[in-house]
Amino acid sequence: MTNLLKPILLVEDNPKDLELTLVALAKSNLANDVVTARDGVEALDYLMRRGNWTERPQGNPAVVLLDLKLPKLDGIQVLKAIRSDSALQSLPVVILTSSREEQDLINSYRLGVNAYVVKPVGFPDFIEAIQSLGMFWAVLNEPPPGSVKPRFADAPAS
Amino acid sequence: MEFPQTVDTTGCEHEPIRIPGSIQPHGFLLVLSEPDFRVTLASANAAAILEVPSPYDRSIDDFLPPVNGVSWRALLSQASIGNSPQQLGIVGPTGGGEYLALAHRHAGKLILEFERTAATSDFRLEQLHAESTEFLAALQASDDASVAQDAAVRKIRKLTGFDRVLLYQFDEDQHGTTIAESGNDLLPGYLGLRFPADDIPAQARELYRLNRVRLILDANYIPVPIVPSPNANDEGPLDLTYAVLRSVSPVHLEYMRNMGTAASMSISVVNRGRLWGLIACHHTEPRFVPFAVRAACDFVAQILSLQIETHERAAEAERRVKLRSLESQLLTSMAGHGTDYSAGLVENKQALLEFADASGAAVVVDQKTLTVGRTPDEHQLIRIAEHLAKHGNSDVVTTDCLTTELPFTRDIPQCPAGMAAISISKLHPSFVLWFRDEKTTTVHWAGDPRKPPRVPGQERLHPRKSFEVWKETVRGHSARFTSAEREALADLRNSIIGIVLRTAEENADLSAELQRSNKELEAFSYSVSHDLRAPFRHIVGYSELLRERAAERLTDDDRRHLQIIADSAETAGQLVDNLLAYSRMGRTKLAKRPVNLNEVFRIAQTDAMLDARGRRITWNIGDLPTVEADPSMLQSVAHNLLSNAVKFTRTRSDAVITVRAQETPHEYMVSVRDNGVGFDMAYADKLFGVFQRMHRMEDFEGTGIGLANVQRIMARHGGRAWAQGAVDCGAEFTFSLPKSKP
Repeated sequence: MTNLLKPILLVEDNPKDLELTLVALAKSNLANDVVTARDGVEALDYLMRRGNWTERPQGNPAVVLLDLKLPKLDGIQVLKAIRSDSALQSLPVVILTSSREEQDLINSYRLGVNAYVVKPVGFPDFIEAIQSLGMFWAVLNEPPPGSVKPRFADAPAS
Repeated sequence: MEFPQTVDTTGCEHEPIRIPGSIQPHGFLLVLSEPDFRVTLASANAAAILEVPSPYDRSIDDFLPPVNGVSWRALLSQASIGNSPQQLGIVGPTGGGEYLALAHRHAGKLILEFERTAATSDFRLEQLHAESTEFLAALQASDDASVAQDAAVRKIRKLTGFDRVLLYQFDEDQHGTTIAESGNDLLPGYLGLRFPADDIPAQARELYRLNRVRLILDANYIPVPIVPSPNANDEGPLDLTYAVLRSVSPVHLEYMRNMGTAASMSISVVNRGRLWGLIACHHTEPRFVPFAVRAACDFVAQILSLQIETHERAAEAERRVKLRSLESQLLTSMAGHGTDYSAGLVENKQALLEFADASGAAVVVDQKTLTVGRTPDEHQLIRIAEHLAKHGNSDVVTTDCLTTELPFTRDIPQCPAGMAAISISKLHPSFVLWFRDEKTTTVHWAGDPRKPPRVPGQERLHPRKSFEVWKETVRGHSARFTSAEREALADLRNSIIGIVLRTAEENADLSAELQRSNKELEAFSYSVSHDLRAPFRHIVGYSELLRERAAERLTDDDRRHLQIIADSAETAGQLVDNLLAYSRMGRTKLAKRPVNLNEVFRIAQTDAMLDARGRRITWNIGDLPTVEADPSMLQSVAHNLLSNAVKFTRTRSDAVITVRAQETPHEYMVSVRDNGVGFDMAYADKLFGVFQRMHRMEDFEGTGIGLANVQRIMARHGGRAWAQGAVDCGAEFTFSLPKSKP
């Protein structure tokens, strides 16, 4: 059955972080699908329906959870590509990173990131952060126009 | 010798001495047209001596017989006739007597002079040659300049038979000094006397330089006018610069008569194109000196000049070597002082003073002065440096009269007369200055005052008076800085700048090195920030997952171990975070602005109390100043100090925390005192180290980085942090911040 909710795109190269994040998202009981991309190129392929993703249905994800340190294209480059693509530029992007470095924060905000979250070391904190992120951006946040399905109520029957 | 050509006959310097319009009467003069050699100008006595009605417009061969069978046309066609009179031969005109014919060309004119030969000459040519050779031998026997000078005046007196022969030397300012003398006491001695530059007018000086020998054989002569041909166009006055018969200024003749000298001759000592001095010969009676003898005298003078030049060059070389040695001494002491060249310079006092032959020296760098010897006071030195920085556009400035160069120095009591300054840095007014005393106080006056010559009614021409004039002229002046000294100053300046630049380069290298390592550190902490935190997060995350999913299979011990694993990883993560914060704090730029410490400590107090809920703490926070600092960094300082105070009073039922400020003229000091567990002063120096802990972890938690941060923040603000305490008797942490400059 096709999930009518827009998916969450999780871009994370570290398999352990990926697993822990998925656990955290699962714990938050979100109904959204989570699509994972393991590097910057894959993330953009998904978003732009290229490569392995040419066949995916149209529509932007509800939110992109984007790690900064990524193979090939890093998070900042992905963010830059998103913000300079007319179809993607208003897509919510949350940087989810280990870094507390100021330069990352400044660069991210300069490129129009919607939120910047430093992954906490403590697990409960981590879960909490991921959950609130997912909830906020996937459910509570009003998606920009052009998104497939803004609200549950408006979901067309398949 | 036209000295002392009066200091107050002011018309003198305008007198047309090159074009007197007349000659002395011991000969006659013709000016011939070329190429037909007809007479266009003639001295008024020419017709009588030649026994012709009029020499004008006639070709010279028409009225003068050939010389040794050579026609005048042929003689005068020689290309070699230039501006130095050339002997053509002896002529015996029909009017009687014998004349030496001398021809020269000047200003487009062919000038023919006929000088009467002496009836008897003291010297024959071969004797002149012998005398000259003897003089050369005398010079070679000694390399003492004064011996050569004495030999020259003696030789010239012997050659000419004059009563007195003097050698004058002109200094850079053209003041003259008698440095050698030979006489028979018929005329007064002038040895050692000085004469101001004004004594010889500039155009006379130039004439001496161009035409080295000048004879006045009788001060009572009646000048013979030079008359143009009645048919000639107006040709303008005849320039007699190189003529031997040139008539001299009537003022000078009057002076000679008054001085009791009937005859005078002068021979210029020209050295490297400049009039170095004069040999002046005086005689009480009229006296003729034949051309050949005059040429021999000129030869002596030129040999002397060469000798002098050699001595001068040797002295210069010696001085240069000396200066170089002084410079290397100064450089050595500068090298011993690393970046602080000024300390190195003043360390070797003797060398520094000697370098510019000075009585005082100073180094002025950024409003700070270091002095050696006699100098104006610090305030004045800074003023001088500021003036030079503002107005000086030369790297080396020298003056022998400071008050002219910098008029404000007139107000300085006992201000030195002369100064040399080299500019080290234009960015920050930095100068090395040397000061010289007034010349009158330093020049040794060869006083042994001989009796001043008495010339009744002619006091104004008195050399003694001239000396007084000289003293007036040089008052407020130091000895001049020579070109060699200026060169040496420029060299020293280059060397000092070399040192300064090398230091700057080293600093630049260092700073590039620092920047690189800072960059590396940044890259390092960036990757630490990303990569080192992750494993800790994974440990915590997976142990949590394990605890959740295997809950029923785990024993209590297992769960406790898992908890320890998670806690440790979390602590490690915190350590990484704190370390990164500490490192970031050292790298980020200070954003200074006024910070109200009352506000900062109020916020810190609120934060600290979050960890102390339910505890009784008495806060005494005094009035705190507003300081110039980075607000977030100071917030971190206050937070660290107050949370420490709260933490380490945890065991006290009645905790008291006091914050107060003190002020000194240069800094603010803020202290935080508590009545907590305190510490042993023996470990006071460890308190501020990274990861240094004074207490066991289970007693007082923490990463041991807080105080390191405090100290680092203070250091970055130019302040300090320190602690006092005793075990169980509380602790007091104080930081100081320098007051910002108004």
